[in-house]
Amino acid sequence: MTGFFAIWKREVFSYFVTPLAWVTTTAFLVLQGLHFYLIVASFAGQLDLSADAGPVQTFFGQTVMLYLPLLFVCPVLTMRSFAEERRSGTIEPLLTAPVGTVSVVLAKYLAVLATYVAMWAPTVGYMLVLGRYGELDWNVVAAGYAAVLAVGAGYLAIGTMTSAMTKSQLAAAIASAMAIMGLFMLGLGEFIFAEGPLRDVASHVSVWTQMNDFARGIVDSRRLVFDASVVVLPLFITVRAVESWRLE
Amino acid sequence: MIEVTHLSKSYGSIAAVRDLSFTVERGDVVGFLGPNGAGKSTTLRILAGFLGMTSGTVCIAGHDVALERKQALSRLGYMPEACPLYPELKVGEYLRFRAELKGVPRRARQAEVGRVLELARVDDYAEVVIGHLSKGYRQRVGIADALLGSPPLLILDEPTAGLDPNQIREVRALVRSLGGKHTVLVSTHILTEVELACTRAIVIDRGRLVAEGSIDEIRRAGGRGRVALTVRGSESEVRRVCEARSEHVVECEAIAASGTARLVVAAPEEELAEHTEELVRALTVAGLGVREVVPAMATLEQVFAELTRDAAVAREAPKRAEPERP
Ligand SMILES: Nc1ncnc2c1ncn2[C@@H]1O[C@H](COP(=O)(O)OP(=O)(O)O)[C@@H](O)[C@H]1O
Ligand SMILES: [Mg+2]
Repeated sequence: MTGFFAIWKREVFSYFVTPLAWVTTTAFLVLQGLHFYLIVASFAGQLDLSADAGPVQTFFGQTVMLYLPLLFVCPVLTMRSFAEERRSGTIEPLLTAPVGTVSVVLAKYLAVLATYVAMWAPTVGYMLVLGRYGELDWNVVAAGYAAVLAVGAGYLAIGTMTSAMTKSQLAAAIASAMAIMGLFMLGLGEFIFAEGPLRDVASHVSVWTQMNDFARGIVDSRRLVFDASVVVLPLFITVRAVESWRLE
Repeated sequence: MIEVTHLSKSYGSIAAVRDLSFTVERGDVVGFLGPNGAGKSTTLRILAGFLGMTSGTVCIAGHDVALERKQALSRLGYMPEACPLYPELKVGEYLRFRAELKGVPRRARQAEVGRVLELARVDDYAEVVIGHLSKGYRQRVGIADALLGSPPLLILDEPTAGLDPNQIREVRALVRSLGGKHTVLVSTHILTEVELACTRAIVIDRGRLVAEGSIDEIRRAGGRGRVALTVRGSESEVRRVCEARSEHVVECEAIAASGTARLVVAAPEEELAEHTEELVRALTVAGLGVREVVPAMATLEQVFAELTRDAAVAREAPKRAEPERP
């Protein structure tokens, strides 16, 4: 794993010196803040906050406001990873240093994942605010964040993969946005298909249901297995893609 | 230090390198020469482990690049063509990143970065953002990077491309000064560069080896001897005589100040005397005075033109039967 940490640090650093990073992060936080405000405002009149339908549950589940930002944020976070290095040619010194392909891919992936975590971190503040003014089940909060992390980890892996497929950041972003969208839509099949294997598959991959379940504190390990496969498979393909450039 | 045997590389249907074999001995500063598109960068990328070969083997310091990639790579410092760098990093930051990547131990890193900054003469720029550097300085940062960890072998792809004459001179001096401690393979399409900075040269053209050896051996590789003549007489007269023998008179320039002209006869060694004699007779008959006849040395430029000409003639044969000589 030599070089892994060096690449990881540079990736995180390079992301935060681009203006796009700050624009994205700010837009994301403003949107989430607004989202949170609207939820809290709508719950403000209600006295009885059950475990199934409180502001936290609504923040993580039962709302499209969570996926819309993910759909934009994940492709923006990942689009540079390989595409920009190939466009500018810096991939050449990188891959001719004595480092393994797996190190390079993991370092780049874990750097965007760390950035993603950093983007969500301020929203913990909202939870603390809630905790001050009312009963808050921290298990539910933890499950909500676990879902955000698990789903985001998969989307970022998909984005890392598409970034390795092209020299254009824009093409990489569009491709990963489409893939993420496709995955989301597939999950919606749960509400469309009739009872049967098709619907089972759809509900298995449904991010919507996963978020709702997790937001109620229901952590199903089968979901996590699926999320893990959405991380591992794209990263495996990425490693193969990076290795294949040497043979092209 | 480098052993290349029967190396070939195709991009789809384009054969960029064809059956190339050469060796580079420890301590040599070798120029890797060829016109644009000859396959220099392709070859160097394969040596540096960035591209795979279609067939053949490459050994760096006894390690096969395809089989023992890490061992081979840790023994070479490589500067890619055009020297791509991260524009958002400062020079010092970049070199510290590269040092860590190349496994320079944490405690030695700062000193090592300082050492290469000084060697490449960019020590005043450590705190400058790479995106703000001129091409010449970026090139030096690339060389500094290649020097990190003091690898026994340096591979530099066109380190002087796109620089102004002063920068070229400095980079060339830098390359020459590295010769004592490192084996250096440096590519270029400019011949004087090799003459000035290298002890040996490898010449390729359209993916094939054309010549390999010391600079003197390369010079002789053209296979044509040369004789220079100084002739007194009007320029038009001299030219008229020369034009009839354009195949062997490769240069003819008037020196206005002295009213003389300088001619160069080039021919295979065994025919050279014969052609010289014939030319001198023709000049004398035309009433021109032959003042001086001296053996001449081919410049690498001329040898290069001759070495790569056969291929060019073959390529253009359908259009033009007889190539014109300048
Ligand atoms: N990535 C590539 N894909 C297809 N053809 C290439 C690629 N890189 C180089 N070539 C071709 O291979 C030949 C050799 O190129 P190169 O090694 O860059 O030559 P040089 O460095 O000597 O100028 C050229 O004809 C070039 O067009
Ligand atoms: Mg080149």
